[in-house]
Parts: sequence; structure tokens; C-alpha cells
Amino acid sequence: MAYFSTQIRFSFLNIIPVLLLFFLAFNGTSTINLGFVSINLHFILVYYYILRKPQILGYGFIFLSGIISDVIFGLPLGINALALLGIASVAAYVRNVTVRINLLNDWISFIPAILFANFVYFLSLYFSNVPIDYLYLFKNSIFTFIFYPILWAAFSFIGGLSQN
Amino acid sequence: MATSRDDFGIIIRSALLSKGAKQRFSLLALIIVSMILIYVESIDRKPLNFFRHFIKDVIYRGSALVSAPSKGFNSFTTNISEHINLYKNYNQLKSENNQLKNNIYTQGFLELENTQLRKLIEEQIHSVSNLVSARVMLDKQSPYLNSFIINIGSNKGIKNGMAVLDSSNFIGRIVDVNFFSSRVLLISDLNSRIPVLVEPSGHHAILNGHGINEPTLEYLPESHDIQDGDKIYTSGKEGIFPPGIPIGKFKNEKNLNKVILFSDLNQITFINVVIEDGNNN
Repeated sequence: MAYFSTQIRFSFLNIIPVLLLFFLAFNGTSTINLGFVSINLHFILVYYYILRKPQILGYGFIFLSGIISDVIFGLPLGINALALLGIASVAAYVRNVTVRINLLNDWISFIPAILFANFVYFLSLYFSNVPIDYLYLFKNSIFTFIFYPILWAAFSFIGGLSQN
Repeated sequence: MATSRDDFGIIIRSALLSKGAKQRFSLLALIIVSMILIYVESIDRKPLNFFRHFIKDVIYRGSALVSAPSKGFNSFTTNISEHINLYKNYNQLKSENNQLKNNIYTQGFLELENTQLRKLIEEQIHSVSNLVSARVMLDKQSPYLNSFIINIGSNKGIKNGMAVLDSSNFIGRIVDVNFFSSRVLLISDLNSRIPVLVEPSGHHAILNGHGINEPTLEYLPESHDIQDGDKIYTSGKEGIFPPGIPIGKFKNEKNLNKVILFSDLNQITFINVVIEDGNNN
């Protein structure tokens, strides 16, 4: 019985990132705007789990959630998906070249990931005739980077619960 | 040197091509699919449009379902704050009611005079009578588009470009029509450009959206005599929207010709879509 309940708890905790990924996409809250502050939770979630626990978050799920975000935000299909897969690519690369992973390494390597994803955004929006707010992209990148350690701690805590 | 290049190639291959544990698709395959999707979005063909509308309808319904709890919570908190402010609102409404009662007599006379004068110059009186009501299904704060989704689409005869009203005030136009849903682009959006008429001066201008900030009037004559509080209406010059739909009032602030909208775009639940100008029937 104890084994069964542990298994249920383990499965539930492992499914949280996928649920969160789709909740953010469907609810249109992948980007939180609080006055001047703008944070892209989608980027942080994808980067953390592809870097730390790639077995939990499938690339297919990331692609699907990107498509859902595109529809909700009224962007041409594929833009968010491509940006998220860009983040996942950088995370997968960093995972392959890094032996010891700690917060500082994660945090610094998150910079090229954000830059790459925003470059994808810029290119795709530029060719899709959707107006680009450069200041918004800039502040979103900065605050997403600053906010990373907080969510890193939260996701690590959830990961710790599933291991105990 | 050759070894480090080989290592780099191996790492890239491993990151992009290998599926890894429990991964069903490789990253490269999905990146290519995304690129194809972006390209396909620019193709306007009937089967593709059918597929796109179906996907969007399904996702909008799913989103409405997922957002239901947070929407319910929001309306609950709004209800509570409205109850708390009940007495204050009652007093405010009472004074407004008195003021409106006084205005009604003058307005009735002006309307009569206006109709008689229009008859005198043999102008056809436009009427916006063919309205279809809809409910706002999704209102997500997109960083790129100021828009929302309504719960009617081509099933109710909605077409791209139709004017959207909040009660009788102009708030935007239809930009994307699916079978059971449509996207409304608000006048505050960066893409929005609406030909307008300023009353009583009669100047024509373009109402330009600026995202989160108030829309502004562009292309006004250099020596205009527009005062704060002057009313802005659709001019109908582009031949799509009926003329004379109220939009907002003029306000000059920091040398910017701003327009304070009559409708609060964040508080819209029900809207009307102008199906056709009354005269075209």
C-alpha cells in the first residue's frame, strides 16, 4: 500500500512540469506582465527541465504548447514553438558539454538561450508582418534572466520531493 | 584542432538528433516542422484555412475551459469589491442620473433639429441596425496583439474587417474568422489605423494605436483648432465601417493628440458586430 501511494505521488510530481507547460499555454500566462516587469515563464520551465530532467518534459509537448501559445496570442503558427525549441536546443547542448551542473552555470548559459529564442522571435515576427516592440523584448529578456534563480529553486524543490 | 571540431559535431548531433530517454521526436525534426508551419501560415488556400480554423476553434474552447476557474475567481473578487463600494456608487449614480435627466431635454431637441436639417440637405441618414451580439470568450494579454476572442464566427456571418462595438462605441475590427470564434483587433493595437472625424471642427485624421498607451490622432492639419473634449467618430472614409460611430474624446497631453476612449477596453464582456451598414440592405 505504501509502495502504491509512493508510486502515485512520484507519478504526480513528475507530471507537474507537463501540466504546468500546458496550463501556461492554454491560460495565456506564459508571459507575466507586472507593470514594467515582464517574465517569460515558458522559457524558464523549458530550459530548466531540458537541462536537468529531460526525461520528464518531451520535445513533442514543448512543440505543442508553443503552437497553443501562438493561437492564444494571435501569432502565426510555429513562432512560439520554434522559440521554445530554440531554448530546448541550447539547454540540450549545455547538458551535453557540462559535467557538473550548478545554479551559476545554468544561469550564465541561460543568457545565450534567451538571446537565441528572442532572435528566433525577431526573425519570425519580422517576416510575418507582426509589429515588434524592441523595448518589450529587451526588458522581457532581462527580467526572465533575473527571475531564473527563483524558479530554479522552486523546480528543484519539486524535483527533491519526487526523489524523497 | 580536428579533434575539437569532431567533439563539437558530436555534441551538436547528440543535442539535436538523438531522441534521448523517453523522447519520441528529435529536436531537429520538430524545428523543421515549426519552420514549415511558419511558411504554411503565409499560404492562403481553402483546405489550409479550413484546417487552421478547426485548430484555432479547438484551442480557443480548450483555453476557455482551462481559464474558467481563474475567470470565476476574478468575477468573485470583482463582485465583492462592488458590494463594498455599493453606497459610494449609489450616490455617484444618483448625481449622474440627475445630470443626465437635465441633458435629455436638450438632446431630444438637438436630435429633432439634426434630422430636419439632414432632410433639408437631402442626405441619407445612416443607421447601424444590423448588429450581432457576442460574448468575449478569451481576453488574454498578448505581448504582440491587443485583441480578444469572441464566441461567434463564420456561423453567424462574421467577416474580416467588420466593425466591433461596445454598446454603441467603436472598439475595434474583426481580423481573424474561424467557424465558431473570431479575433477582434482593438483600436489600441499597434496595427490599428482607423480613419476618423473630429467634431465639431470636422477635421479628418487617422486614429493610430500604440499598444498599452492611448491611441493618438495622426495626419491632422497643421493649423487645427481642436479643443480638449472634442468628440471623435468613425469617418467611414475607407468604406468599411459605417460613419458616425463614437470612439472617444480628444485630449492634448505633452504635445500628443491623444484620444481617451469612451469604452474601457479591459472591461468588455459583451460586444456588437456591425454585420452590414443599414443602407446597404
